[in-house]
Amino acid sequence: MTKTTYKVTGPTSYQGHQPGEQFEAELSEEQEQRALERGAIEVVRTTKKKGADDA
Amino acid sequence: MPKRVALKDSITVDGTDLSNFARAVTSSSEHEQVDVSGFSASGVNEYLSGPTTQSVTVTFFGSYATGEVHATLEPIHSGRLTVPIAWRTDQTAVVGVDNPELRGNVQLFSYGPGATRGDVDTFDATFVATDAAGLTWHTT
Repeated sequence: MTKTTYKVTGPTSYQGHQPGEQFEAELSEEQEQRALERGAIEVVRTTKKKGADDA
Repeated sequence: MPKRVALKDSITVDGTDLSNFARAVTSSSEHEQVDVSGFSASGVNEYLSGPTTQSVTVTFFGSYATGEVHATLEPIHSGRLTVPIAWRTDQTAVVGVDNPELRGNVQLFSYGPGATRGDVDTFDATFVATDAAGLTWHTT
């Protein structure tokens, strides 16, 4: 399971997170792509977490 | 619920809060009126409810900077994408029985910003529900 930390870079909030705020989420690839392209968010870091498949 | 003056509405499109770039919103849910009339003494038509079309129309201010209206809406239209939309009456309060939120997955079949010299740049965008879940009101 991969979780990504994003930062809101747009002028308005994204999914309830205010501009400048960082948040962790599992966005779909398409949703992430759209938000990145319009400058709403940027990726801060991606964390691979141990999930059921890794056990 | 008391009467209200619309001031604090929240409009979110594909996760991005566009409330401050919007100044009007209208939702619509219409069942097709199917005529199933037969001959009758009264001559009054008889109807059944058919398929439902739902939409949300928002009047946006034209804004073209990063992360604003054009950057959010144009890719949704040109890419023929289905994205989530949400509208509730009070952005300062959580969703609840007295602050319900209309949510659903929508497409933007038409996109046509424009401008008139000397006037505020606004345009309407109509988001049409495009999956079986439709646009529904949530209280949580």
